[in-house]
Amino acid sequence: MKASPLAVAALAVVSLWLALAAAAPLLAPYEPLRQDIVGRLAGPSAAHWLGTDALGRDILSRILHGARISIPVGLAAVVLAALLGALVGGLAGFVGRRFDDLAMRVTDLMLAFPTVILALVITAALGVGIRNAVIAIMIAWWPTYARFVRGLVLAVREREYVQVAYALGASDGRILCRYVAPNVASSIVVLATLDVGHAILTFASLSFLGLGPPPEVPEWGSMIAAGRNYLDEWWIATFPGLAILSLTIAFNVVGDSLRDLLDPRLRKL
Amino acid sequence: MLVGITLLTFLLSHAVPADPVTASLGEQAAADPAVVAAFRREWGLDRSPPEQYAIYLWNLVRGNFGVSISTRQPVWLDLRQRFPATIELAVVAMTLSILLGIPLGVLSAVKRDSVIDQLTRVVSLVGVSVPIFWLGLVALVIFYAGLGWVPPPGRLSATLTAPPMVTGFLLVDSLLAGRPAVALDALRHLTLPAAVLSTYNLGILARLMRGSTLDILGEDYVRTARAKGLAEKEVTLRHAARNALIPVVTVIGLSFGRLLSGTVIIESVFAWPGLGLYAFRTATSLDFPAIMGVGIVVATVYVVANLLVDIAYALIDPRIQVGQ
Repeated sequence: MKASPLAVAALAVVSLWLALAAAAPLLAPYEPLRQDIVGRLAGPSAAHWLGTDALGRDILSRILHGARISIPVGLAAVVLAALLGALVGGLAGFVGRRFDDLAMRVTDLMLAFPTVILALVITAALGVGIRNAVIAIMIAWWPTYARFVRGLVLAVREREYVQVAYALGASDGRILCRYVAPNVASSIVVLATLDVGHAILTFASLSFLGLGPPPEVPEWGSMIAAGRNYLDEWWIATFPGLAILSLTIAFNVVGDSLRDLLDPRLRKL
Repeated sequence: MLVGITLLTFLLSHAVPADPVTASLGEQAAADPAVVAAFRREWGLDRSPPEQYAIYLWNLVRGNFGVSISTRQPVWLDLRQRFPATIELAVVAMTLSILLGIPLGVLSAVKRDSVIDQLTRVVSLVGVSVPIFWLGLVALVIFYAGLGWVPPPGRLSATLTAPPMVTGFLLVDSLLAGRPAVALDALRHLTLPAAVLSTYNLGILARLMRGSTLDILGEDYVRTARAKGLAEKEVTLRHAARNALIPVVTVIGLSFGRLLSGTVIIESVFAWPGLGLYAFRTATSLDFPAIMGVGIVVATVYVVANLLVDIAYALIDPRIQVGQ
């Protein structure tokens, strides 16, 4: 099966953003924190391609630097949620019985609670900041992975090669590490890739609500929030939003294509 | 389930390092031990956690949600005022996404790889990827600041008075009160936030419906229907679309939770006086009686939405019986 042109384009966009994030200090035409009160609220021009904000900071430079926050945060939140979820879900599926009942009860509960409200309470309680926003997303999301991994483990356990391994006297630990884990890992990776765009979006939402980094830090969600009071100066909010949109679309397409290529079983999800 | 939600919020409120005393009294008052002691006694914070939880549950059973620390009103009253605003918004948004998303999905599957199919796929991709707080702002820039087609954020124009509260839904209440002008104004305020809120679900539903319809169109009974000489329209609507709806309906129920998450953001952008804005304000001031109230209401809505989905199954597919 060949990757579609759309998937190739999306992969290119993701790679481009990764490169932009890595090279932001070299590429950005201005310091992201440099204020210029005289040149504040200036529209897009040759000097400031994407205009300046209420403090005269260059929006292009801030968007480039913002990628250095959003991309790692999105990846970290998903990896942490997937690890925690896989651990709980894997054990629930493998050990079963009481632990399984308890784990599934807890996930039921967490899934009924809207993510943003949960994350809101957690960040409000832990204090605002990037690290706590990541923790909040992780806590809100691990149940999805736990449910998913549990289902996979239950299915794999019944396979013949696992039954054979049991018959040959392999220990639980060996079966879990050698036979079960490798067979569920690829599905988890696919689901996680699909979620990165969503995580970037959720982090930007929290940041928009004022629960992310402090306002001077160049972060996309808080840049958009700063544009709320300047509806006539449309460029302040529009460009950071386009940055988020392009990145999440690209991650979603890459995730979809990866799923179709590696794991057609998941198509229905 | 509901007991679980109260326990979850309660545990969270006691596991946090932040202190609600400082959050609601302010640094200065919190420095005075007498004020702090009085505050703790007033809100029952001087008791042990299990005692506090038992008191809370006992009050809850009698319909008492406690008093909000930030609004100083009974939480029940706060919720009653704000809940209908959010449900009105959410129901309209959900209806929009169903009415647009499902036909788009079917059309897209039937005319596979046509222009309309490509367009639907783009719409659904953008729908699930777009940050709604940004879309809301862009919509305000275009339709309010630019074109002047929609009124400023809020639920009703400042010049109009709200009709007496019966259901709490402004559209219904103003019609009941015989004031169509108010209903029209409320509708004008509602359109933009509801449209923005519906984008994610629209994307998801169109995409699922497309996939589901494509699967069904490959089934034997569809071929049989065609072989019988049924019109293509008949085959699509009676045989394919109806069966394709079943997995989609499940997702409608599950996505209601996500829609309520979205209201937190949309209500903040559009100054919509609903549950989402209340959740945001009370959560940031660590007003736990209020947050627990919101949690209970939201979880109830989620459970009810999924119950409605179970009933909808039976309507779509007579083979499924409720209660089995």
